[in-house]
Parts: sequence; structure tokens; C-alpha cells
Amino acid sequence: MAHHHIDIKQEKFEFTSKSKIVSIVLLAVGLILSIIGVIQLKNNHTNSNHHQTTEVTTTQTDSHTENTQTHAKSWTLRFWANLLLNSYYFLLFGIGGLFFVALNYIANAGWATLIKRIAEAMSAYIPIGLVLLMIALVFGGSEIYHWVHYEHLHLSEGMEGYDEILAGKSGFLNTKFLYFGVPAILLIWYTVRMILRRLSLREDEEGGLTFFNKSIRISAGFMVFFLFSFSVFAWIVMMSIDAHWYSTIYSVYNWGIMFVTSITVIAFITMYLKSKGYMELVSPEIFHDLGKFMFAFCIFWAYVWTAQFLLIWYANIHEEVVYYNVRLHGYFRPLFFINLFINFFIPFLILMTKNAKRNPKTLLIAGTCILVGHWLDLFVMIMPGTMGESSGIGLLEIGMPIAFAGLFIYVVKYSLSKANLYPEKHPYVVESATYDVGV
Amino acid sequence: MFCFSKSIDKRNLVYGVYDDEHKLLSTVEAVREKGFEIFDCFTPFPVHHLDTAMGIKRSKLSIAAFISGATGFGLGLLLQFYMMVFDWPMNIGGKPTSYRMLPSMIPVVFESTILCTAFGLALLFFIRNKMGHGVNPDILNIRQTDDRLLIAFDSDKLNKFNSEELNILLKENGAIEINKFSGKYANKN
Repeated sequence: MAHHHIDIKQEKFEFTSKSKIVSIVLLAVGLILSIIGVIQLKNNHTNSNHHQTTEVTTTQTDSHTENTQTHAKSWTLRFWANLLLNSYYFLLFGIGGLFFVALNYIANAGWATLIKRIAEAMSAYIPIGLVLLMIALVFGGSEIYHWVHYEHLHLSEGMEGYDEILAGKSGFLNTKFLYFGVPAILLIWYTVRMILRRLSLREDEEGGLTFFNKSIRISAGFMVFFLFSFSVFAWIVMMSIDAHWYSTIYSVYNWGIMFVTSITVIAFITMYLKSKGYMELVSPEIFHDLGKFMFAFCIFWAYVWTAQFLLIWYANIHEEVVYYNVRLHGYFRPLFFINLFINFFIPFLILMTKNAKRNPKTLLIAGTCILVGHWLDLFVMIMPGTMGESSGIGLLEIGMPIAFAGLFIYVVKYSLSKANLYPEKHPYVVESATYDVGV
Repeated sequence: MFCFSKSIDKRNLVYGVYDDEHKLLSTVEAVREKGFEIFDCFTPFPVHHLDTAMGIKRSKLSIAAFISGATGFGLGLLLQFYMMVFDWPMNIGGKPTSYRMLPSMIPVVFESTILCTAFGLALLFFIRNKMGHGVNPDILNIRQTDDRLLIAFDSDKLNKFNSEELNILLKENGAIEINKFSGKYANKN
């Protein structure tokens, strides 16, 4: 608006050695906690195993082998399951950053242009997250996924232990796809990210509409590929933990987790930058819209959660209901309900009013609920199928997210410091700076 | 901005006509700085920042939305509880017929909440903006529905001196013309 003339005063984020140290300390503290946690688990496990063997020698031998088998996988499995949980969770932030950039291009949305670089910086985490995820999948795969273990047995029809369902799914659920398909999908996403980033940086230097138009076309193509490939990604990484079970809305559910958490992370990073004196131009209007997104996608998540739960609960078909039977009764029951409260009811009620969405403090409280809540959400998705009742929240579970957070913060800050904070020649940058949703 | 519920029928108004929303916005700011009370602005399309410039308070729309939504939520629950638990319990797929059937009520409660919110707000919109049948729209100048933007003042509240000052202010900020309007039931003097 010519009336409200605004000069975009360029800023550059400085990755000071102090903030480098903070994120490295986070990483180190997290690592130490997880190592202590692993050692504890290992000791407990060997102790209990001794106890177990002395006890079972007096009983029958076949129950003995069964017992030690289920027990022997305990602590390594717990480590791999946690690595899978955290690498997947933080990878979702990176993917979410890329998705947010592409979404704003194809929706022709201008309000978030000022915070576009934050989303771009988040997507710089994708390759690192991919490496960590692949470590969990390749080395822990046969423990986490029982279909990987099954594949190694090479059973054919008629043999003892032959599983018709797993054999029928082996066209998709096979280790070749797990080891090569998953990284291929993520590398394609990262290539798109690199192209969009390069176009955006060249736009900063040269200006003009060519880069913007090109980005729209690339984003549109990416979006079609992304929604299919993200489904496949969620199926093989998450849903195949319970390989006999399936849910058709599972990938939408994962997408919901991805979107609501990454919007929250974008809001948190923006708040952090503002508290450090950067991004003066980012007004409460932008926080208002981020808050609306958080609010809306809390509801979306709950909607999809209900859609998945309700149909299975109502139909009560044996093969489907096993998934909720484990979670709704027994060990996971409290977590199951906490999950619903912390991810839906609490942020829903906190973020309902307009002032709450514009106030960084309430946004911070609701956002913390969402971030902790969706970690717990993934915990409830992963653990029943892997660890079962022997899972728990110990030092390993607390330490590993801290370590991942340290790594993620380091990567994001490093990437932020590599480019201008505002994409100043983006055609919508003034719209974003003078953005006003009205009274 | 399109039309507020202040009736023009009982008023004598003086209004400036503009062909550009930036000029209207600068007029609003200049006029308010001098202490004039704006009756209303009439624009054929929504003008950004106009509501903040005019100093309009936030609408209570969201409170109304919450109340109608909560009504729908309560009605939906009441309907199902009354029918399925008290009046005529039915065994559907072996599901319980007590409060434990709550999950199966979610879709209907969800829909009735949305339905009541939408209907409540639509109804409120029509009432608040006086858009019923047979109600005359607030039109000062027919071109306010086309390509002209108006800013109106209550001329009964102006005296001879500041009305001249107002005219100068409006002209300075780019008014094409300044006209008078007198409503159907206004005091004619």
C-alpha cells in the first residue's frame, strides 16, 4: 500500500560462538543422558536376565528359550525404537519447513514471506535427519519391524511360521524398499528444497518475477509428488511397525502431526529471533496467523485421530481393533488419554481467543503442549508395537530428544546465518510487512 | 465497512466523494486528527486498514460464534443422550447404551456444533446488517455501490465554522465533490 510505505531494512542473522556453544551443550547433555540411560538399561537387563535364567532352569525348557528371546531384545530394541522416534520426529520439522515454503508458493500467499527463510532453514535439516533415520532403519530394522525379521527367515508357503499376510505385503514391505526407497524419496524432496532455495537466493540478488514464477511451478509439481510419497514414507517407516494392521487415514494423520509441529517450530524460531532483536518487521499479525494455523491443525489432528479411532472402535473387526486394544487397555491407557488432552483439548482451549494467538506467551505455552504432545503421540504409535509393556520413559527417552534438539537448533541457526533474514526482492515481501487482518 | 447498522433515515449528512481508497484513508486520518466525528464510510469493496484508521472497536462476532457453537454442542449431546440412553436405547453393533457410547456421539455433536454456529452467525449477520426483505439499504449516493468511496458526517453536529473547515479538509485530501443528504425521517430545518 503506497499509503503505508515501508522500507525492508535487511538483516542478517549472526551465528555467534555463544549460541553455537549452547546448542552443542544441549547436544552433549542429551547424548550423556542417553548413554547413561542405555547403560542403566543394559545393567538392569543383564541383572534381570540372570534372575530369569536361574528361575527358568527349574521350569520347562521351551518356555525358557521363549523368555530369554523376548528379554534379550529389550535394551537394544528400546534404543533403536527411540532413535526411530526422534529421528522421525525431527525429520518431520525439516519436511514441514519445505512443505510450508512450497505451500505458500502454490497458494500465492504473501503473509508469511518475511518468515520464509526460517522455514527454508528448517528444511536444511532433511539430509542430516535422513542419515539418522537410516541408521535406525538399517541397523535397528530387524528388531523394530517384525516383517524385516520375517523376511530374513525366507519362509515359503506350507512351512512352519509362514505368514500369509506378511507374504502378501512383501511386494511393498521389503528391505530393498526400506533401504533404498525411503532415502530416494527424501533425496528427491531435498533436491526440490535445494532448487527452491537457490532460486530464492538468486532472487535476492537479481530481483524480478522469473524466480518467483519458476518456484511456483516447481512447488506445484513437488506438492503432487510429495503427498503421494509422504504417504508411502509414513506407511513404511511408521505403519509397518504393526505390519498386520493397516489404516487408510494413517498417512493423513502423520501429515497432520508434521504440519502442526512444524508451524509451531516456525513460530518458536520467529519468537526466538525477535527476542534477540532480529525481525523487527514481523508484526503480531504474522503471529496471529501462525496461531490460527496451530489452532486449526490441532483440530485437524483431532479430527483425523477421531476418524481413525471411531471407525475401528465402531466396526470392532478383530484384525483392526488389535491396534487400539493395546493402547486403550493396560499399560498405554494413561498415555493414550494424555495424548488426546495435550494435543487437542489444552491447545484448543488456550488458542481459542484472538489475543491468545497474538500473545507470544500463550503461543509459547500452547506450542510447548503441541511439541511435547506430538512426541508422546509418536511414542504411543511406536512403542506398543516394538517394546510393548516393557517400554517406559527413562533417561534415554529424555536425553535423546534433547540431543536431537541441540543438533536441529545448530543446523537451523547455521542455515539462517547463511542468507539474509528477509527475502527482500520477493514480490510479496511488502504485503507481508504491511499485513493486517483488521479489527 | 460495507454498511453498518447506523440508520441514515433520521439524519442529515454531509459526505465527500472519492475515487481512490488511499485518498479516503488519508482523509479519515486527517479528519480524526482535527477532532471531527465520522458518521461512517461507504465503500463498494473492503478497504484494508480503514477500520483501524476509523478507530472502530473489535466486533463481538467471536463471542456470538462461541455461544452459538456451545449451544449446538449441548443440543447435539442432549439429543443423542435423550434418544439413545433414556427414551429408546438401541443396540447397534453391540455398542453400550450408557455414557460409554460417547465416542459414537462425536460425529453428530461435531456436525450440530458447526450447524448451529453457521446458522447463528448467518442469522446474526442478516439482523446486524439489516438485510431483511423490505429494508432499505443505506445508500447516500448510488455510485457508492460502483466505483466511488464516501465519507459521511452528521451535519447536525457541525456548526458553520467547522463545516467550512471540514469542506476544506475534504477538498485538500482529494474529494471529487461534497454533497448533502437528508434522510426520510430527518429533521427538516
